[in-house]
Amino acid sequence: MKISQKLLRTAALVATLVVIPSSAFSAECPEGYPNKPINFVIGYGAGGGTDAIARAVAAALEKQQGWVIVSNNKPGAGGGVMAAGLMQAKPDGYTVGTSSLGTVALNPYNSVDTPYTYEDFDYLGSGMETYYGLVALADKPYNTFEEFIDFAKKKGRATVSVAGFAQQFLVDQINEKYGTKLVILRGKGSADALQQALGDHVDATIQGAKHVQQIKAGKMKQLASLIDHRVDYAPDSKTLIESGLDATIVSHTVFMLPKGVPADIQTCLAGALDEAVKSDGFGELMTRLENTALNLGPKGITETIAKNAAVYKKALAK
Amino acid sequence: MPDLNIIIAGLLDAVTLTNLLYIFAGVAVGQIVGAIPGLTILMALAIAIPLTYSLDTLTAVAFLISVNKGGTVGGAIPSILLNTPGTPESAATALDGYPMAKKGKPMKAMKYALYYSVFGDLSSDIVLITVAAPLALIALQLGPVEILALMILAFTVISGLVGDSMVKGLIAAALGFLVASVGIDPTQGTPRFTFGMLDLYDGLPLSALTIGLLAVGEIFAQIAGATKDASTGTPIQINSDNPEDNTVTLKEFLANKGVAIRAFVLGTVIGAIPGLGSATAGFLSYSVTKQAAKDPEAFGTGDPRGIAAAETANSAVVGANLIPLLTLGIPGNISAALLVSAFIIHGIQPGPLLFEQQGRLVYGLFGAMLIANFANLFVGQFGMRLWAFAVGAPNSIIFPSALLLCMTGSYITSGGFFGVFVMLIAAVVGYLMRAFGYSIVAFVIGYVLTPQLERSLSHALLITDGEIMAFLHHPIAIALVILSMVSVFYLGPKKRKPASTK
Repeated sequence: MKISQKLLRTAALVATLVVIPSSAFSAECPEGYPNKPINFVIGYGAGGGTDAIARAVAAALEKQQGWVIVSNNKPGAGGGVMAAGLMQAKPDGYTVGTSSLGTVALNPYNSVDTPYTYEDFDYLGSGMETYYGLVALADKPYNTFEEFIDFAKKKGRATVSVAGFAQQFLVDQINEKYGTKLVILRGKGSADALQQALGDHVDATIQGAKHVQQIKAGKMKQLASLIDHRVDYAPDSKTLIESGLDATIVSHTVFMLPKGVPADIQTCLAGALDEAVKSDGFGELMTRLENTALNLGPKGITETIAKNAAVYKKALAK
Repeated sequence: MPDLNIIIAGLLDAVTLTNLLYIFAGVAVGQIVGAIPGLTILMALAIAIPLTYSLDTLTAVAFLISVNKGGTVGGAIPSILLNTPGTPESAATALDGYPMAKKGKPMKAMKYALYYSVFGDLSSDIVLITVAAPLALIALQLGPVEILALMILAFTVISGLVGDSMVKGLIAAALGFLVASVGIDPTQGTPRFTFGMLDLYDGLPLSALTIGLLAVGEIFAQIAGATKDASTGTPIQINSDNPEDNTVTLKEFLANKGVAIRAFVLGTVIGAIPGLGSATAGFLSYSVTKQAAKDPEAFGTGDPRGIAAAETANSAVVGANLIPLLTLGIPGNISAALLVSAFIIHGIQPGPLLFEQQGRLVYGLFGAMLIANFANLFVGQFGMRLWAFAVGAPNSIIFPSALLLCMTGSYITSGGFFGVFVMLIAAVVGYLMRAFGYSIVAFVIGYVLTPQLERSLSHALLITDGEIMAFLHHPIAIALVILSMVSVFYLGPKKRKPASTK
């Protein structure tokens, strides 16, 4: 019994050893790449959503491709510090950046100090789309976006806690379209914004992840989906587009390279990334984050970034 | 609250050999990292999280919580032995711990710190286990207006720590204010004092700044003092023959029970409110205790009450911080935020459904926390001999190695050399402030509290629409503001002696 187990284990080990190099071919990598560890530079601090996603992808890559990935956090300026550094990195395919869409689509237009634009990078794909929603305490007298707008108009003003510029910008768009006076309380982070709403200090909040548990527990309700489609955990809440306002908050976890990485290495990395995002390990993380894996691919993510960058560039040029 | 069966089963889950081993290992790692100047709990957690990926859920979170708890105890050690606190919260411990150690009673000071720390942590854990949910709901009721009032109170109460000269203390605090305003402004998102540097957008990195000011600045000061005048550089006497100097009796421990209980209540309340943190608790408790004492001039000379006030309060925050985390999913400070990410990786989703869906696991975690407190006591007893021995090494070895570790710590926590530069500049500033008698503590408090003060002020104005009468709807805030006035007019200036001893 014992011996047969041992044999099985050895066989399994041999099998994995054989499988590792062969699976590397499925991502179509050039000969001799990679021949050293690949650096993952994460644009946010340890312990955030982007960090968890990047590390899950790194773990899947190590497992599937047999590569060695070294993950590093380089937080600051909403991913800007990482991106500014990545721009200077050697384009040899051994430095991969991970950040959010806003880092490249919004920051360059929002702050004059940003030394790059989205066109300074090549994109490998994405990992997850953040499900932003406008949410409120369950016992509030409004259930939909329209009712909330009516409430704000009747009362003269209503407060919304947010945690970032893209969210602030969306509230501005609502105010402009409906003539409401939604007052923005910008928090330290999404937890801070959520706390204001849970304590009933504001009328609504914009959240990207933590609201899902609150909705499932019946403590909060979603007034509107702020992305371009409805979400499973609140199937009745319409998108703003359905309500007649063409505004969304788009955020994906983006994997990027400095410009100039050889095309064959880019193809290899993009293929490997796609496999990693489709892996079970990554899927598990997505379940825990109440989300789903989504890779738009190199072309898809570049288009999405370009589209959003155009919107912000136009809006912020004023 | 789940069934009693689930509670008991959960608590028992914690008592397996593997878990016990990991809890002890976690506490030991935490204490070691906390005790080394320049290395912080945050760093220990960030490094420990990936190590737990392969463990099962309870073992993993028990290990991480133990690291956190061990770090809290360990943090007091460099404050006491070298006067080089690595974090703002242990800076309050140094105020009386270091003088006591200088008097030749380092073991006694470390034991006081250990016992009160474990007392504070254990008591707040019990509060967490028994009344977490209602307490979290009460804490939620404190909105921007109340937090603003609380911040004002904190500033006024803490003015008791400005040092010998009120003017210099206020200058130092104002400098802290100014430095805290570097970065993206918290309400509009406009960069301030960033000089075109993206690195400054999120403000100066707190770890690097405090390591520089508190630890490296002190190392500079001690090196300078040692070369100029040999008498100030006297090393701490470790092997005092008098057994009284090496032990803390039960009677001595209980002598400060009033102080410890008040500190525990303060620490637990502050811990339950997200965003305030253990530095606030430690200083607030120290300052309140000093001002309430009949003989405030005894503080700063090695008074055990000072250690009791600071250590009980900052440790009570550790347990209480999990209250908003577990019940609402809101992390109270950075180490709690790191724990959340680890929880999520291990399949625990903190929030309103946690107790319902994973009750057994939560009580397993509670069981592990209780065990970790005793592990802390045990490891601490053993460890302090080691630290006392290590600190007996010549300064020519201690200072360079501490300096190297401080640089490493700054590099790791801020993710690059930028942190090291900030640390070095802060160290020079800290040295100069010491040399000219400006209170570092006042500076650090100003720096730590200002962002919260500013945010609450702007939020309070937005919520009340600038209407001053709206204030009347916030009775808690009114009470807090009255308290701060009382502390300014009644407790503060009157008790200040023109020439205090320090």
